[in-house]
Amino acid sequence: MNSIPLPEDPLARSIVATCARRADAPHADFSRADAPQAGLWRPYENPRRQALPLGAVKLSAGFPSPAADYEDKRLDINEYLVRNASSTFFFPVEGDSMQGAEIFSGDILVVDKSVRPVHGHIVVAFVNGERLVKRLRHRDGRVALVAENPAYPPLEVGEDTELLIWGVVVGKFKRVPA
Amino acid sequence: MPVFALVDCNNFYASCEKLFDPTLTHTPLVVLSNNDGCVVARSAEAKALGIAMGAPWHTLRAQAEARGVVAFSSNYTLYADMSNRVVEVLSQFTPHLEVYSIDESFLDLSGFGSLHPEGLTGLGGRIRARVADWLGLGVCVGIGPSKTLAKLANHCAKKGLAGEAGVCDLTALAPAQLDVLLAAIPVGEVWGVGGRISERLRAQGVNTVRDLRDADPGSVRARFSVVLERTVRELRGLSCLDLEEVVAQKQQIMSSRSFGHSVYQLSELQEAVGSYMAKAAEKLRAQQSVAGAVQVMIRTNPFKPDQAQYQRTVTVPLPVPSADTRVLTGWALALLRDIYRPGFEYHKAGVLLAELQQAGVQQAGLFDAGGDTVRSVVLMQTLDAINNRWGRSTLGSALTTGAPQGWRMRRAHLSPAYTTDWTALPLVRAG
Repeated sequence: MNSIPLPEDPLARSIVATCARRADAPHADFSRADAPQAGLWRPYENPRRQALPLGAVKLSAGFPSPAADYEDKRLDINEYLVRNASSTFFFPVEGDSMQGAEIFSGDILVVDKSVRPVHGHIVVAFVNGERLVKRLRHRDGRVALVAENPAYPPLEVGEDTELLIWGVVVGKFKRVPA
Repeated sequence: MPVFALVDCNNFYASCEKLFDPTLTHTPLVVLSNNDGCVVARSAEAKALGIAMGAPWHTLRAQAEARGVVAFSSNYTLYADMSNRVVEVLSQFTPHLEVYSIDESFLDLSGFGSLHPEGLTGLGGRIRARVADWLGLGVCVGIGPSKTLAKLANHCAKKGLAGEAGVCDLTALAPAQLDVLLAAIPVGEVWGVGGRISERLRAQGVNTVRDLRDADPGSVRARFSVVLERTVRELRGLSCLDLEEVVAQKQQIMSSRSFGHSVYQLSELQEAVGSYMAKAAEKLRAQQSVAGAVQVMIRTNPFKPDQAQYQRTVTVPLPVPSADTRVLTGWALALLRDIYRPGFEYHKAGVLLAELQQAGVQQAGLFDAGGDTVRSVVLMQTLDAINNRWGRSTLGSALTTGAPQGWRMRRAHLSPAYTTDWTALPLVRAG
């Protein structure tokens, strides 16, 4: 007759004890020829329920990393630039009319269509069949698209202008040759 | 009571083309099928000109172009990306959604009506507004107590038969109003009632949707099918069809195309089959499967009856399932060599990967370890990574790279992959 060595932790001890209780004998040795017949094991009636705190019988393997508590996920540039992936589109810039807003030729604009365009936003707009990037001015019922470069006059949006504000510019990025 | 909505994008392909090109705002526009064959989508302006769906482009090209119609080849890369974005937006309105096709989704809105101050119609309006604001695409929303009625409601919204501003909620109609509406719609508009069935129905005096709804389910089942009986019950507002939310892993992967030009040589067919197999095998690996059988098909053009016709399809079960492009291509080419006959003008070829199973659970063979070797798996991962990063067919078998590909599909009017290719992004002018 083997006896199961019980752990020292009282919680774990009660579990092992419950599991080991058998219908006809407290312990069993199945390696013996005269081991009790199969089918004699049945669940302990009305077992005492023991709530275990998570990790109470955790096994540890090796030394814990001293940095484990401080771990954080790696930075993702998408998270920084893209607020709403479903409604975000990229547009490369050609031209120098938005230099004052630090938007240069070759930059790739991050355009979010879900942002409601208001006065002061930099926007991508379809104007008379052209795709343009401009700053939106909307004051006293008048709409204008203005450049950020004195060399380009503002574009007053009148009755005969066909204007679609396509989306709002929320960021930009560019690779640097290296 | 269950409530379903069918959200359907208006003129989807044509709208995607217009979305990125400011010169097309008022242009009548059509999108053509593979090989620039037939009209598969029309903008509102093109519809107004009377251009028919499915019309062969070569027969109407001269006339259409004279009236300012612009044609585009199918840009499925763009349409697929925009379709995924639409589904993302729709998923914000319900956790239960079925992507029914590239431009249609069913939403389960059961119990949502009371959450919106203006009820289901108001919710439909919000769905419509959000897709328009976020993606610049128009949708129609049909709402009903079964999928069949939701689909019918969508038809009503699209044609302006009921509801307003592109939203039609059949659950909001009084029974008498619904009777009038359904009596005005031909039975052929019902989901699943095709041309032949509607012909047979009309012969028996079932002309309108209302007639079908009020038909006796038992005799419909006896005279037609259990499927049509279910349709009758769905029209009565008894939901019989559940959302099919879970996208089952594909059991077969097919890659086939018609050729841009007629093909006579075995070598050209080999290039085509190799290239289709490269594509199919990449899809196979993307879903972590291996294929247990390979099928190859070649045929001449059945629409040219004056030419000698030939077509063959052969399948071979693989001794060991594989996801290795080299192995699969090897089998496909062996099959092709078997069925190729010189002297025919070939029009189409295809490969099919079948008996797909989860990678890594294969039975070991008697004479080999079973499944692809680690070296093969790593090589294929590398191949996919490189092609992902640098574009399809950067790296492939010697069959599929570099060679001039005369057989390749004709896509003369293809727009850029505006949203999925760094080199094809739409330029914006700062001027």
